[in-house]
Amino acid sequence: MAEMTYLQAISDGLREEMRADDSVFCLGEDIGAFGGAFKVTDGFAEEFGADRVWDTPLAENAIIGTAVGAAVEGMRPVCEMQFADFISCGFDQLVNVAAKMHYRQGLAVPMVVRLPSGGGFSGGPFHSQNPEAWFLQAPGLKVVAPSTPEDAKGLIAAAIRDPNPVCFMEHKHLYRRAKGEVPDGRYQTDLGRVRVAREGTDLSVIAYGAMVPVALEATEDVDGASVEVIDLRSLVPLDRDGILESVRKTSKVVVLHEATRSCGVGAEVAALIAEEAFEDLDGPVVRVTAPDVPIPFSPPLERAVLPQVDDVKEACRELVSY
Amino acid sequence: MPQMGVSVAEGTIVEWHKRVGDWAERDEVIVEISTDKVETEVPSPESGRVTEILVEVGTTVDVGTVLARLDTSASPGEPHVEEKLTVDSSQLTETPPVTPVVRRMAAEHNIDLSQVRGTGRRGRVTKKDVLAFMKQWGEREPQPEPVLHIESPYEDEELSTVNRQPSTGQPLSPMRRSIAEHMVRSLQTAAHCTTVVEADVSAVEAARGRLSYLPFVARAAIAALREFPQLNATLENDRLYVHDEVNLGVAVALGDDGLIVPVVKNAHELSHEGLASRIADLAERARSKRLSPDETKGGTFTITNPGRYGALLATPIINQPQVAILDLEAVVKRPVVVGDAIAIRPMTYLCMSWDHRALDGVLAARFLSSVRHHLEGWNG
Repeated sequence: MAEMTYLQAISDGLREEMRADDSVFCLGEDIGAFGGAFKVTDGFAEEFGADRVWDTPLAENAIIGTAVGAAVEGMRPVCEMQFADFISCGFDQLVNVAAKMHYRQGLAVPMVVRLPSGGGFSGGPFHSQNPEAWFLQAPGLKVVAPSTPEDAKGLIAAAIRDPNPVCFMEHKHLYRRAKGEVPDGRYQTDLGRVRVAREGTDLSVIAYGAMVPVALEATEDVDGASVEVIDLRSLVPLDRDGILESVRKTSKVVVLHEATRSCGVGAEVAALIAEEAFEDLDGPVVRVTAPDVPIPFSPPLERAVLPQVDDVKEACRELVSY
Repeated sequence: MPQMGVSVAEGTIVEWHKRVGDWAERDEVIVEISTDKVETEVPSPESGRVTEILVEVGTTVDVGTVLARLDTSASPGEPHVEEKLTVDSSQLTETPPVTPVVRRMAAEHNIDLSQVRGTGRRGRVTKKDVLAFMKQWGEREPQPEPVLHIESPYEDEELSTVNRQPSTGQPLSPMRRSIAEHMVRSLQTAAHCTTVVEADVSAVEAARGRLSYLPFVARAAIAALREFPQLNATLENDRLYVHDEVNLGVAVALGDDGLIVPVVKNAHELSHEGLASRIADLAERARSKRLSPDETKGGTFTITNPGRYGALLATPIINQPQVAILDLEAVVKRPVVVGDAIAIRPMTYLCMSWDHRALDGVLAARFLSSVRHHLEGWNG
C-alpha cells in the first residue's frame, strides 16, 4: 500500500496494465513528450516508447475512430480526451461506431476513453462539464466514475480489461485533492457495484465522482441523523441491488451529482427507486444537482451553480424532518 | 342531517352553497346532500349568518348530525369573517398524507395510524414513528381473516343442566333470525352431500408472503370452476342456470353479530392478488357496515374459511340458490408420504358441500381434485 493522489492512482493503474499487457496503448493530444495536459501519462513515453504512447492531431473523431479500429483488431487502446467536453467532436465514432459494433457485427471493442471532467476551477463552459449522462443513452457503452484513488486504479484496470468500450469519467477536482492508500500491483474493481462510503440508517445520499467527498462532508452531522453515503462508482452498469438495498434500509434518499439536472444519472436513479422501492419510501426522492445551465467562468457564479456542501446539508435536513 | 325519508339513515355532503361568514336567508339553499336514494338541496331553516361548517364535502354522517351552525342574532351586511383564516386553520389541522412505507408497515403490522404520534413536519407519521410505536406496544394481534362460517356458531352445551334455573332466554337479533331462516331453508331445499379432498399447500406457502391462504384457494377454485362450470351454477324452481361469470361469495364474520357473504363480482378476471385486495375491502366494509345491498347479491359459488381456529373438517351449508360451497379449514403440518419417503408438509382439507339435485359425486370429486392440482402446482 502507498498513499497516492487520485491522479497518481490512475497513472499507476494505466502503467501496470501497460506493463502486463502489450496490447494496451495510449493515444491522445500531448500525452507523449508533454505527459498530458494533467500529467496522467507523465513518463509513459520514456518507459513504453512512442509506439505505445501516441501524440495525435487535435481531432477527437480521429482519436476514437483509430482506437475503434485497433480494438476490433485485438488491441486495447486507451484514448485521452484532453477535457471531457471535447468528446462532442468524437461523438459519432463513440456512440454510433464503438457502441454498436458488437450489436451489429458481433465484434468486441475493448477500448477506454478517459474523460477528465467536472468544474470548480473557473474553467468556464467548455472545460468544466460532466457529460456522463450523454453516454447512458448509447446502449453498448459502459460508464464509470470513481471517487477515490483506490477505486480509480481498480476501475481503470477493469475498464481496460473489459471487452466493451468504457467511458472513464475522471474528475479534475479530485486529481490532486483526493488522496488515499492504494494497493500495490495489479487489481481490478468490479464494474457495476456500489461502494458504501459510510453506513447509516436514516437517510441515503447517492452520489459519484467528486460529489462523494462533498456528501461525506455535508452529512457528518445532520441533526444527529445517521446518513448512509453510497458511491455509485459505475453508472453503466448501474448496481440496482446495491441502490435498492440502501433505500429499503433508510427509506429516504438524496441523489447528488455535479452534472446538470434534467435526464441526468440522478433522474435514472430516482426513477429506479420509484419503480422498485415505492413502498419503502418515507419521503420524496430528492435530487441535488447543478441546474440546467452552462458552467459559468465567474468563480462566485460557478459556486452558485455547482452543488456545495451547504446545499447538500440543507437538502438532507429538509428530508430528515419531512 | 335532516331525515329525508323513512328508510334513510345517513347522508353525504355533496356541496356547500354557503361558506362560513355567508348570510343565509330562511329557505335559501344552504347545502346539497345525497342519500342512497336521492340527491337533494337543503334549505336554511332560519335566516342568519353561517358561523361554523362542521361536516366537509364528501363526508357521510347519520341523520340528526349537526352539519353547520347559524347565528340567528346576526344581521345581514355585517363584515364577513375573513375567508383566509378559515382556510388556514383547516389546513393546519389536517395531517399530511402518510408516506408509502408508513402505509405498508401499518397494513403489515395492523397498526392504527391515528394512534401513532407523528414527529415529521406538520405532524406527519414517519417510518421512525411507526418503528418506535411497534417497539413500545409490540405488534398487535392480526385481525381475524375475512373468515366466515355459514353455519351458526356451535355453542358448548352446559354439562350441569340439572340444577340450572330456567332462563327466559333472549330474542334472536334480526341478523341471527335471517341467518337461521336462510340456513334452515337451504337444508330443507338442497340434497346436501359433502366431499373432502386433502391438499399439500407447500407451493402456496412458498408463494404467499404476507397474504393468507384464502385468495390462493379462491383463485384455484375459480380456475377449477372454469373447467367444471356446472358447479358455477344456481338451481331455482327446478331449473339449473350455469353462469359464465364467477361471482364469488366469501363468508365474512361480523364478530358476535353473525356473518354476511359479500360477493366478489367477476372474480374470474382477478389474480390472487386482486382477489386478496377485493376480499379485504369487502370484509372491511362488511364489518364497518358500509356494504351496499347489491354487494351481497348475485353469487354463483361461495367459499367459507373458518380454518383459523384450528377446525379440521366441516360440512358447510349451501348458500341458496347456489349448488356448492367450498370450506377451507386449518392448514396443519403433517407427515405425508412423498414418493417412498415420509415428509413434513403443510396440509389442508378442502371440504365441499354440494347439491345432489344438481350434480353427482364424481363431478364434485373431479372439481376438488382440480382445486388441489392448482394449489399443489401453484405458479402464480
